Amino acid sequence: MSFERIKTHLPWITLVLLVAIVGMADANFLRPHNLINMAADIVPLFIMALGMTFAIYIGGIDLSAQSVANMTTVIATVALPVFGVGAALICVVAGLGLGALSGFVTTRLLVPSFVSTLAVGGIAYSAGQYLSGQRALYMNAEMRDASFGWMVGNSFGIPHEIFVGGVLVLAAVFLQNRTTFGRALKAVGAGEPAAVASGINVARVKIMAFALSGMLAAIAGLLFSVKLSGGSPTIANGFLLPAIVAVLVGGTPLTGGVGGVVNTLIGTLIVAVIRSSMLYFEIDATQQQMVFGLVLIAAIALTIDRSKMRIVK
Amino acid sequence: MRSYLTRDALVKWAPVIVLIVLVLFFALMEPRFFSVRNFARIGISSAPALMIALGVTFIIIMGSIDLSMEGTVSVCAVAFAFAFIAMGGTLASYAWLALPLALVVGAAVGLINGLVHVKLRIPSFMASLAMGFVGTGFALLLTGGDRIRVEDELFRSLLTVRFLNFPIMVYVALGFLLIAWFIQSRTTLGRNFYAVGGGEELAHSSGLNVNRVRLMGFTLAGMFYAVGALLAVGRIGIAETATGNNFMFVSITSVVVGGTALWGGIGGVWNTLVGVLIVNVINNGMVVIGLPGYVQDGVLGILVIIAVVLSTDRKSVTFVK
Repeated sequence: MSFERIKTHLPWITLVLLVAIVGMADANFLRPHNLINMAADIVPLFIMALGMTFAIYIGGIDLSAQSVANMTTVIATVALPVFGVGAALICVVAGLGLGALSGFVTTRLLVPSFVSTLAVGGIAYSAGQYLSGQRALYMNAEMRDASFGWMVGNSFGIPHEIFVGGVLVLAAVFLQNRTTFGRALKAVGAGEPAAVASGINVARVKIMAFALSGMLAAIAGLLFSVKLSGGSPTIANGFLLPAIVAVLVGGTPLTGGVGGVVNTLIGTLIVAVIRSSMLYFEIDATQQQMVFGLVLIAAIALTIDRSKMRIVK
Repeated sequence: MRSYLTRDALVKWAPVIVLIVLVLFFALMEPRFFSVRNFARIGISSAPALMIALGVTFIIIMGSIDLSMEGTVSVCAVAFAFAFIAMGGTLASYAWLALPLALVVGAAVGLINGLVHVKLRIPSFMASLAMGFVGTGFALLLTGGDRIRVEDELFRSLLTVRFLNFPIMVYVALGFLLIAWFIQSRTTLGRNFYAVGGGEELAHSSGLNVNRVRLMGFTLAGMFYAVGALLAVGRIGIAETATGNNFMFVSITSVVVGGTALWGGIGGVWNTLVGVLIVNVINNGMVVIGLPGYVQDGVLGILVIIAVVLSTDRKSVTFVK
């Protein structure tokens, strides 16, 4: 059994091992109630990571996800009294538009995605600051419940966030495995020159991937603001690192082409378990960022496909 | 006359033209902008940013990128403040040793960045992004979230003592700009940065130890981040985890807007000076003419895209990830 063969199974093995370790340290962790709550808490992050998966799958990155989510918490809060449930549509369109802009700048203007998304993130950040008047805003509780109460309720002991995440992951799996767009994504991620040669409109596929990433980041922001019943231009800060970690730990390498949506689901659960394990092992929350940074480096070093990079810049 | 208006000439002089136009624009909008007092203000805000942007300039000339500056700056600032206070708390005592110590810390963090990038063969943007997160986390671990005040008058004279209307930190920054220029144009290391950025395979086949140049580049960048951290602490008198905040966006923006190409091999420290000034003039000008400060990030984002587009030689670029 060579390492290359085990590699594709590493993510779920890691997840099972982590759950077992934390479970042994404290059996309370394994209670269904606790596990379900943990999963519900991670859903906004998961949705963002889901979007990031598409950007990384084609060999790019989306550093604007956090700023887009920040902006949509503000949009959702501001638009709710005027448009009710229509606020969701505005959020989705805004995210889609900014993501498509990143994609356009990357593919048509030949700006590397980490710079184009950083720049578009700057635009989203300014928009969030402008719309919010640079302060935290709160949703009217009645209006929130009337329009978005379905997002955060509880049925059969299962929080609705999990259903929201479930629907999105099923849609993403369908898109990835059952549509020509999904196959095109795979082709672009596996090798861009070959994709160009076989007649795929690579630029369009990439723009759509970034647009999806922006849209899902916006949905993450929307859900987050409904959960917290408010919005602010900095409220989602701290999402970017765990979202990238979730994608990479799940086994979608930075070089793209393999892995995908289900991997990100496993990756996000690993992030969730690491987070709560820090509670159980009484590691200070301030060290979370350091731990995730190191986990990120380890995950990249293990998963990256070096045959794709002649020169590592 | 047409031949003067080539693409190359436009790309070369566009940053300077943009800077002049911006200064004129803000001066016309608000005469108070065009005063020595306000220029000193721009100088103060530019000084730490210039140090950090100079550091990352070397990396970008090599065709790599470093996104770790926020973490590195915070670690250096916090390490400096702890050492400074532990050793006496004033520059008149042995506490001055904290200054070189901060540079050593910066160099060490930079070297680790470089090792992660070169030895683990991880693309630099991701290696440095991750290391930046680790750095910020480490600074948080050291401080536990507290702010450390550095109130020594002698150290704060960086800001408080003025010479010809400009505080000392501006002259310190200019001194390091000259050092960076010297490294870039008068040392083998500087030449090697351009060799690696101009074409890595060529540099490699002509016998250059590319990985060693990389490591030295990241170490050097770390030292410049440390200087930036010292100036940042000197400016506000506080070292904390947030000392490094926002430097990533600002410094990358500055370097790119100044005309240093992301592909490597083109540009240099003078471009970075112009870029830093553009960013800080926009920043300051918006406040002076009464526009809200938050528009800045959006405007800078658009400027960056324009700058990269202008500096890209489309014929030589095949794939953009």
